[in-house]
Amino acid sequence: MPIAKIAALGTTRKMLGFSRHTLEFEGSTVADLLRQLPTLDGNCLYDSLVCDGKLRTDFAILVDGLSLKSDQLDKPLQGGEEIVTMAIIRSLSGG
Amino acid sequence: MATMHTAPISPNEGRWIPSTCGMCLHGCGIKVQVVDGVAVKIEGDPSNPDNLGKLCPKGNAGIARLYDSTRVLHPMKRTNPKKGLHENPGWVKISWEEAYEIVGRELGKIRKEDPRKLLCAIGDFQRILFWGWPAAFGSPNFFTSLGNYCGGSYHPVNGSVDGSFASINDYEHCNYWIQIGSGDGFSSHLHLSGSAKRMADARMRGMRVVSLDPRCSVASAKADEWIPILPGTDRAFVLGMAHVLVHELRRYDREFLRDRTNAAYLVKGDGYFYRDAQGKAQVWDIAANAPRPWDAVAPQNVALEGAYFDGAVQLRTGFQVWKDILLENTPEKMAEITSVPASTMRRIAGEFVDAAQIGATIQIQGKIYPYRPAALNYYRGSQSHANGFFDNVTYKLFNMLAGNIDVPGGHLGVPLDHRGFFVSPGEDGMLKPEPHQLHPVPPFKYPPDSTHLMEWFPIGFDAGQLNAETLLNPERFGLNYRPEAVLLYHSNPWWNMPETDKIEEIFQRMKFVVAIDIQETESTQWADVFLPDRTFLESTLLNCLEPPAVTGHSFRQPVVEPLGDTQDAYDILTELAERMGFRDDWNDLLNIVCGFAAKPKYLLDPNKRHSVDEFWDQYARSIYGDDKGLEWFKVHGHAVRYRTPEETYLPFGNLRIPFYFEFVKRLGDEMRVKFSEVGLKDWPLDNYQPLPFWKNSQVIEDGKAGYEYYAITFKESLHTFADTMVMPWLSEVSEKDSVHGGILLNSATAHKLEIKTGDRIRLTSPAGSIEGAAQVVEGIHPQVFGVSNVITRQVLSNKRVRAKGSHFNRLLTGSMLYTDSATGGLESTARVRVERLRG
Repeated sequence: MPIAKIAALGTTRKMLGFSRHTLEFEGSTVADLLRQLPTLDGNCLYDSLVCDGKLRTDFAILVDGLSLKSDQLDKPLQGGEEIVTMAIIRSLSGG
Repeated sequence: MATMHTAPISPNEGRWIPSTCGMCLHGCGIKVQVVDGVAVKIEGDPSNPDNLGKLCPKGNAGIARLYDSTRVLHPMKRTNPKKGLHENPGWVKISWEEAYEIVGRELGKIRKEDPRKLLCAIGDFQRILFWGWPAAFGSPNFFTSLGNYCGGSYHPVNGSVDGSFASINDYEHCNYWIQIGSGDGFSSHLHLSGSAKRMADARMRGMRVVSLDPRCSVASAKADEWIPILPGTDRAFVLGMAHVLVHELRRYDREFLRDRTNAAYLVKGDGYFYRDAQGKAQVWDIAANAPRPWDAVAPQNVALEGAYFDGAVQLRTGFQVWKDILLENTPEKMAEITSVPASTMRRIAGEFVDAAQIGATIQIQGKIYPYRPAALNYYRGSQSHANGFFDNVTYKLFNMLAGNIDVPGGHLGVPLDHRGFFVSPGEDGMLKPEPHQLHPVPPFKYPPDSTHLMEWFPIGFDAGQLNAETLLNPERFGLNYRPEAVLLYHSNPWWNMPETDKIEEIFQRMKFVVAIDIQETESTQWADVFLPDRTFLESTLLNCLEPPAVTGHSFRQPVVEPLGDTQDAYDILTELAERMGFRDDWNDLLNIVCGFAAKPKYLLDPNKRHSVDEFWDQYARSIYGDDKGLEWFKVHGHAVRYRTPEETYLPFGNLRIPFYFEFVKRLGDEMRVKFSEVGLKDWPLDNYQPLPFWKNSQVIEDGKAGYEYYAITFKESLHTFADTMVMPWLSEVSEKDSVHGGILLNSATAHKLEIKTGDRIRLTSPAGSIEGAAQVVEGIHPQVFGVSNVITRQVLSNKRVRAKGSHFNRLLTGSMLYTDSATGGLESTARVRVERLRG
């Protein structure tokens, strides 16, 4: 089974209850991984981040530094990838 | 211990330490001479290709900020419960522990109850990475209009056209430079010190400069030609020139427009592109005499202009739509609006297109590029207006007529930072527009979360001036909470926002105000606690912001021991986050903003407190590699290099840039539906247009209501923002220049109104009035009164500097009537009545 290193930032850290974790998971895609990440509310991260099969627009997932498009949840994982999950920040402002 | 020097200090004494200037946002490379622990001299760093060893007056005066006797050097709390602009806060020194306890307690209560109740006035551009602290706190509120004052419409249009943040003409190759309402290369805006050198070099090789400005600014005075123009009418001048190119001379870069933009895409009567069954935008295939998908027709067979029928469907190319708009913009009509003779418009348009050399190419480092050595450059004065979106798009389109966007000699995008242009594919072969580069587009929401209504401006830039309306009339906007506190972080919203009286009223309503700054300001008059930050000569950071010709970070490092009992802003913000229980969110926010999320090995541990040096070391290594951490920068001072031709020219590659802004029209129509659904049918959306045209702004309408004259504000190289005006060195120099001596008016106007230099006069706009001493000059349009920013401060802690009190922003209005409905850009010009005061 592939192994993924997960870094959960901000809101997703609070959903999962951890900030860093290495997980051996069944399957071969990002979606498979998300389904095997339990959230503190008793569901899984897939349920919180995915709507109609697509990544919600207020969240981002990076695989080895590259941001997934909303319809790329079936991206294959070979094992050893670094996955970062986070919410989008919409109020970064100054001047 | 420092020793007293009685003789001039030789340049050979002490040490010269490389660092970065912090006197404006851009950060020139500097060397600081330190003798016996005292900074005694600042010079430009010749090894830094950004400023090439040059340094503006502000940078030269930087030591005066460090050693200013009025700096706040200890945490302080207020003892006077009465608050107001002229109320003495009654500051008493307190410990950092007590200061943090008070702020943590007061803001902590708000955060638990509803974090949106905190208004945040965030400045300090060089620490732009820290601008997300309010987001980590949980507040979306932006209580300042400093950035919006200049770039509210400018930045979104730059980002939409080529993924840049700013723009500038090509100093290296341009031969004919039209400058509209900007100090670039002369007195202000992008990286002044290096830009002035580049401008001077270009002039030496023969580049001609034509400057449009209501006032004979430094740029105008040094230009080959100054064209005085009425404020806020620059777009009319450029529309008139575009009319000349398109309808009279018929000279424009057809290949550029056809092949590198969407100007040839067919537009239906409803303003949308004519798409095929697959949704692809179509062009008119001249050979087939039929519409075809944009990528299915050989370039030579694509019609750039014309009107066509596909069955019963009438179509025009996007270019033809603008051409038809321009038909009405004759120089004669535009002359009535601008006061500039039609013959001048025709002459400048002709000179411009002659100089553009349409069709020419140039070889640079083995690669052939289009060569268009003529370009129009612009900034605040020309587009910080209530129709600023139209202004900006007009200037871009005029440059596109010459085919000069992002090509040698032309009009170049300037990236926000070291990451370069934001380039990714969008629809129909186009570059994906990136109007928001500081944060993603906020989804529409009603009631809104933010007091500046960011959710209502999908291509806007954060219209801080709207706070004056929303906070005093929250019901009108559906705001379902009431802010109770303000965080001031190197920002002076009293000074930078319109409608000063309303801002004062908002401050009066606040239960708690905390300031992080170096000096007292008008806004800190309302502060309960003052947390003193360190100056740029005592602190650490890496800076790369809007560099016109280079890329890479300059390094700021402490050159002397910090004075007093101050702390670095990073430590202050981190401690506050820790006290309120969100250090983990703060660290994660930095992980996202700093780009660590894309390089997980550099992620900050959310559960750990990282020191200032650890943080910047992590940042440096994440960009430049593990061998270029903080220690490397301490020795080398910067990692700045020239941008390569590939990084500068045609950054969008084979993607097309927008000539016809269909996506803006679509956004407007979508917003119309959303507003209608929540019952807000009267919210203005009329500037969501695919192409610019002339329409009168409220400023023109105010003229019809008896406000005969215009008032403008301006600044020169001596000053930026509010805080340079309280520096005695700079103030003394300013006072010797009569343009900063009072309210400027033309001698002919002075004669007509019987006003002499020194007379007290009052300017009254629909929003308010200011008074000041008249200064009669020749170099200003007869219908315009000019107010230097030097005379706008009112409460100064430094008694050696005189407050002159003509606060220009009292003349401005922050309502939607004076705000660009698409971008949120504010109107920076006012119409005024003038009276001479007795005595």
